[in-house]
Amino acid sequence: MSRRPLLVRHLLPAAAALLYASPLLVMLSGSLRPRGAPPPQGVEFVPDGATLAAYSDVFALIPLAGYLRNSLIVVAIAVPLTLLVASLAGYAIRLLGPRPKRVAIGLSLVAMMVPVTAVWATRFEVFRVLGVIDTFVPLVATALLGTNPFLVLIYAWAFHRVPDEILDAAALDGAGVVRTWWSVSLPLVRPATLAVAVLAFTFHWSNFIDPLLYLNTASNYTAPLGLRLLQQLNPTDWPLLLAGCVVVTLPVLAVFLAGQRVFLDDPVHALDSLEA
Amino acid sequence: MRAGHAGAHASGAAWLLGPYGVGVVALLALPAALTFGYALTNYTGFNDPTFTGLTNVRRAISDPLFHASLRASLWYVVLAVPLRLLAATGLALLTQAPRRFGRLYRAAAYLPTVIPDVALALVFLWVFNPVFGPINQVLGALGLVQPIWLSDPWGARWAIVIMMAFPIGEAFLAVLAGRRELNPSLYDAARVDGAAPWQQFRYVTLPQLAPLLALLAIRDTIMTLQVNFVPAYVMTDGGPDSATLFLPVYVFDQAFEFFQFGYGALLTVLLLGVTAALIGLQALLARRWRVLG
Amino acid sequence: MYRPVALLLALALALSACASAGDEGAEIQLMLFGDAQELAGYEQMVAEFEAANPDVDVTLSPVAKQDDLLAKLTTSFAGGAPPDVFLVNFRKYGQFAAQGVLADVQPFLDASDVLDPADFTPTAFDAFRYDGESLTCFPQNLSSLVVYFNVDLFEAAGLPLPAMGWTWDDFLAAATALTDGDVYGLGTDPKVIRVAPFVWSNGGEVVDDPLAPTTLTLDTGPAREALDWFLDLSLVHGVVPPDREEQAEDSESRFLNGRLGMYLNSRRVTPTMRTIEGFRWDVATLPVAPGGTPASILHSDAYCLSADGDTEAAWRLVEFAMGERGQTILASSGRTVPSRFDVQASEAFLDRAAGPPTPEVFIRSAETVRATPHTATWTQVEKLADDILEEIFYGRLDREAGIARLIEDTRPRFGAS
Repeated sequence: MSRRPLLVRHLLPAAAALLYASPLLVMLSGSLRPRGAPPPQGVEFVPDGATLAAYSDVFALIPLAGYLRNSLIVVAIAVPLTLLVASLAGYAIRLLGPRPKRVAIGLSLVAMMVPVTAVWATRFEVFRVLGVIDTFVPLVATALLGTNPFLVLIYAWAFHRVPDEILDAAALDGAGVVRTWWSVSLPLVRPATLAVAVLAFTFHWSNFIDPLLYLNTASNYTAPLGLRLLQQLNPTDWPLLLAGCVVVTLPVLAVFLAGQRVFLDDPVHALDSLEA
Repeated sequence: MRAGHAGAHASGAAWLLGPYGVGVVALLALPAALTFGYALTNYTGFNDPTFTGLTNVRRAISDPLFHASLRASLWYVVLAVPLRLLAATGLALLTQAPRRFGRLYRAAAYLPTVIPDVALALVFLWVFNPVFGPINQVLGALGLVQPIWLSDPWGARWAIVIMMAFPIGEAFLAVLAGRRELNPSLYDAARVDGAAPWQQFRYVTLPQLAPLLALLAIRDTIMTLQVNFVPAYVMTDGGPDSATLFLPVYVFDQAFEFFQFGYGALLTVLLLGVTAALIGLQALLARRWRVLG
Repeated sequence: MYRPVALLLALALALSACASAGDEGAEIQLMLFGDAQELAGYEQMVAEFEAANPDVDVTLSPVAKQDDLLAKLTTSFAGGAPPDVFLVNFRKYGQFAAQGVLADVQPFLDASDVLDPADFTPTAFDAFRYDGESLTCFPQNLSSLVVYFNVDLFEAAGLPLPAMGWTWDDFLAAATALTDGDVYGLGTDPKVIRVAPFVWSNGGEVVDDPLAPTTLTLDTGPAREALDWFLDLSLVHGVVPPDREEQAEDSESRFLNGRLGMYLNSRRVTPTMRTIEGFRWDVATLPVAPGGTPASILHSDAYCLSADGDTEAAWRLVEFAMGERGQTILASSGRTVPSRFDVQASEAFLDRAAGPPTPEVFIRSAETVRATPHTATWTQVEKLADDILEEIFYGRLDREAGIARLIEDTRPRFGAS
């Protein structure tokens, strides 16, 4: 009787957690192997003769610092733009009458379901007509979709928990829609803003398909494209490749860890600070 | 919902949807319409597209690579979607209860979702390396066969399916949220009846979560049919012998390597058709099993 | 309260400003592929061109691998922002020529008072005449497939060093003797362009009609003999690293690490080979089939001009690159076998101290080259054929069934428009 709770409460979750942390652990451990070392005998956790050499080599071999800077520029524009578009749209949906609201939510759900690959060739056409191929514009433009319509719905849902009385009071004070959105409603849904910011950062930092299609000039490459470049130059230099992976993963990992509370403690109510 | 529409601002707010509306039209609706438009043309990206009737359709019917691609995609959905759903549900139910280290466990479960997909694909290329890779190291230590994973059609498919069983954060959070919304009194009643944890899962949790799981299965079918582009592009480049030439990879080859925008558009329409058919099937099953109303 | 909005607008404006930077003088983009060592030569060449032509600003856009170059070129052409000038292999330019997006270099060459066709080896030019008459792109080099070999390993095994005119039997005997433990005798990509010279040496043909091909012909006669001989290297003799080993460490790394006796590649890898410190290496011509003729395959990249680009400035870059100075810079980097006669004879190319010790092998080899087709669909055919060939070479696909598929599956690709 007393063994089962231990098993279910800790051993199984711990084992599952270890399994899901393993890609990161394997990435770290593999990046420390000396280059050209023979295959390990048996299972290896910290490699013999562990070294950080691959980390300096990776920056020497490709202009990774420049690629990281490009990625930073993209997220620095795309994430705030996403917050702006998604919160405005979410707020508008909150205020719509019942029928248009159903339509807006329904369309957003459909939009959420459209696979990117279904439109990539023709979306390419749109950006070509606009003359913005080989710039960051197509990369940040998805922020107009709220990066993903799901993020608009997160906001819509969070704003729905802001009671009418608060908005009506603001209106009585003479505040317009925009002022009410900015000074009254947004501060009430900070957890949603945090969640949307983390999700948008994760998406734009990791985005590979859009840079692959739209960036031609090497100096414009973002970090994920840099990893691909590294793979093509040194297809079997594992410590080097994995060191590159660690470098590209660290920023997004840091952002996730900073914001994880809002997802992992209580995903339903965390978005609803009024009840917290 | 406690909020209706706040009377004072309801009418003047629709314009706030503007930027979002522009995005949806310019980046989704218009491209989607163009895809259907180009599907029956000879568009190369340069010429003025001319309507070519069923030429592209006939080409697809007799194109062995398209057949291989369709097979690869269908197998992938059949294997990956249940596995991903199982993983997400299992992890969520295992780690949902508040307890010491609870958030640490949940953070670990979400970690692979955070890793950029190119990096994750490279890590799994290493994980499945026949000589150095951790998986074969473990198999070797256990005295088992060490397969050359990516050289075998099924090995390569499984390698990608296994990799895709890791970034399941979205579904994980959804099940986590769904489970927490369940009424605790249901479990109290079950405990009074002497139900073991397994029986609680079978007779309380599962039926209650079934509608959510059905929705997640549908969403995951759509998503997995497209997100397998990056792992296939980075790990196997469609190989070996087209075993992982998933539809998006083949569309990419046709449209962006060989100037076959028209044919690529037709393949995309077929991809959407396959997706719709799979979703229809799932909805039908869900209805038959009375999961969805 | 509107500050964040204003900030975003400012950022967006700055972004689009970056996109369309000012246009004083000419700005041209040069796209090519290569690794760090290969690119060094091009960087120097571009720097000297810019110094001599202050009104032209060149952006070098390198891509890692040939395959990626194709995708990048296609997306940039389709995106309406192609590079003004790019270097591409003769097997790959056909699909661009077919779309009519290239500016023929012939009229520029005719009008040029810098470049004279008589100064160049004519071999590579035919491969770059898309319509068979006027020159589409200007070939920069005259490389071919050769055998890189590890001199120390040959001597340790007591083997004679490969010499001109050595035979398939000599080659196989050496590869067998060199294979020992984790050292393998030979490394090669299992690709059409690696098999082709063996087929030609044996008197066979790769396609039915080189100018208007409709099918591969590797399944019959001397072509089939040569293909079987090539496949036997892996399937029967085991002198190449097996699948498992190749995935752990590719042949190029294995050669650099001193554990591969011979490695088939073109001049392209010479800059990388020059970084070797632990052992001596050299190059040899490909072995000759029994009773056959010496043969190799052309490896040549050419400068192509985008019809929509700044063709005038781009041509000036080509003139510099193909002039004596430009060819000398690239030859000294090790990257190219110059197609100019004067530079072929110069110390810049013959640099024996840097390696290889017998550079004239490249000139001899170039005298025996042939080319695969360069039609619009050849890239697609080759990609599919390479995939199937790899399956057979590593024993994943039965030889007979595989060769049948090699012919059948590729056939419809020849006609795909």
